[in-house]
Amino acid sequence: MIHLAKEDIRHTLGKFIVTAMGVGMLLGIVLIMMGVYRGMIADAEVLLDDLSVDLWIVQDNTLGPFAEASRVHEDLKYTIKGINAIDKSEAITFQNLQLPLANRKLAVLAIGYDIYGDINPISSQRLIQGRVLQNDHYEIVVSDKTLYKLNDKIRLGRNDYTVVGITHGTVASGGDPLVYVSLKDAQELQFTYTNKRIQTDRARGILSKDSYLVNAIIATLKDGYNVDKTAQEIRKWLHKSVYTRAEQKVVLTRNVVEKASKQIGLFTIILVGVSTIIIALIIYTMTLEKMKEISIMKLIGLPNSIIIKMIVEETLLLGIFAFIFGNIFSHLIYEKFPKNVLLEISDAWSLFFIVVISSIFASFIGVKKVINADPTAAIGG
Amino acid sequence: MSQTQAIKVENLNKSFGTGDAFVDVIKDANFTINKGELVALIAPSGAGKTTLLMMLGCVNEPNSGTMWLGDEKVYEDKWLTKKTREIRREKIGFIFQAHYLIPFLNIIDNLTLLPQANKVKDSDSQKKARELLQYFDILEKETAMPSQLSGGQNQRVAIARALMNDPQIILADEPTAALDMDRSISVVKMLKKIAQEQNVAIIMVTHDDRMLQYCDRIMKIENKGIVFQ
Repeated sequence: MIHLAKEDIRHTLGKFIVTAMGVGMLLGIVLIMMGVYRGMIADAEVLLDDLSVDLWIVQDNTLGPFAEASRVHEDLKYTIKGINAIDKSEAITFQNLQLPLANRKLAVLAIGYDIYGDINPISSQRLIQGRVLQNDHYEIVVSDKTLYKLNDKIRLGRNDYTVVGITHGTVASGGDPLVYVSLKDAQELQFTYTNKRIQTDRARGILSKDSYLVNAIIATLKDGYNVDKTAQEIRKWLHKSVYTRAEQKVVLTRNVVEKASKQIGLFTIILVGVSTIIIALIIYTMTLEKMKEISIMKLIGLPNSIIIKMIVEETLLLGIFAFIFGNIFSHLIYEKFPKNVLLEISDAWSLFFIVVISSIFASFIGVKKVINADPTAAIGG
Repeated sequence: MSQTQAIKVENLNKSFGTGDAFVDVIKDANFTINKGELVALIAPSGAGKTTLLMMLGCVNEPNSGTMWLGDEKVYEDKWLTKKTREIRREKIGFIFQAHYLIPFLNIIDNLTLLPQANKVKDSDSQKKARELLQYFDILEKETAMPSQLSGGQNQRVAIARALMNDPQIILADEPTAALDMDRSISVVKMLKKIAQEQNVAIIMVTHDDRMLQYCDRIMKIENKGIVFQ
């Protein structure tokens, strides 16, 4: 049997390819949007996964450092460690910094941790150059996204920090690269006032002291203990907010990236809708261009089913080719986006099914035109 | 019913519009066309030639009357079958002023499209298409696209297409209008030969009096009725 759709496409191959590429670029953007969403979720979980701790103990009535300000005393880690169920506990700080980079500033999230402690937030798999922090002061490990090199000096606060290690794939939930400093340095950067402020405070009789504040205490459990029960005990006796790892993920994904993901989701839905309308309009135009041939086919007795099959197949092929171009396009450009774009096969398959269903719907407008076509329209009256 | 009868109509009527816009086009038409006949249909422009052809071709529905195609009564004040398109596909061949070949199909595919819709085997339809192309002396063009053929060659392909379903009737709407004199005569002679050799009834609309000499009969629309000269 003659494949009408194939023959028609072959007849206008250049036009078909250019059209499919145009729609494909739209679908590519849809894939990128899905990838941005996936990237945000993945970024939000990088730190949690790298730390791999069971409990987050934060200031009472707060959601913790990922969602709002939290301050607890550093020595709380000793109290936590004293609990029977706890295996390790450490203090940790989080702070947004602007690193000087050439003529601009680069936003990063700095993590302060006790370099002699039991929990190291720098995953060995992510450390691609250099080493972890080994000195209490003025060393920094940076993400490769910051573009700093080993042994570069970075001015932070009143001191120069030396880059001793470079990590890959370490980003905060907002997409900012992560940097790591010692807990002492982090506390100084976060909680120590400027010289002028200290002088002013002294003049007012307020004495500046070394800070022993941190943003959270993180802890791991011994085998055989229930994480929810332990969290409940800490909440009850220490009057702190405590989040399990699962709860902290919910805080990150629901409270921190929810709005952004909804926005991206809405954009994605709109783009899929626009793509469907564009495919429908293209098919309508392609059908209009063939109205004379369609009228002749009906006049000489070809059944509607054969003509409709041609329209539906052409629409589907346009959708499928556009999807293929979209995939190629998205894979060509996704690395150029400043934030993490994670292209997943499951998303591509989802989009494929959406494109197939949308194409079938889009073909209806052309099919309606075929059904209503007057066979005598092709000849004079 | 005569064994040689291809078309028979009795009291066939067709009008358009209502009220002030009402117009009778064909009124009480009665005629019979036999197999093997080439009949010319003549009338001034707008007199209803194409309307009559479209009724005989089961494309447009008459308002009243009776119509037979071969020995099958297909219309008696209404279509007696819902499958008018199937009747066209199986019993009727169409030739138009222009060739109206499908531009995205090559010549052989243009010919085999209709038989394939009639569930004829690919090999059988290809064989018949090649025989017809040979008959019309354009076999070497079987893989060419219509845009690569001359007007005369395309019109021969269009005639070949009309023969692909072994029709009982061929309705030709000014098939020579776009051709020069020599080619026009060649096409009409070809139609005459086809009518006789294939035992097909051909009704050919023409405005060219020089073609009438090749036809067996001349049918004229006069005062909305049908008369034979």
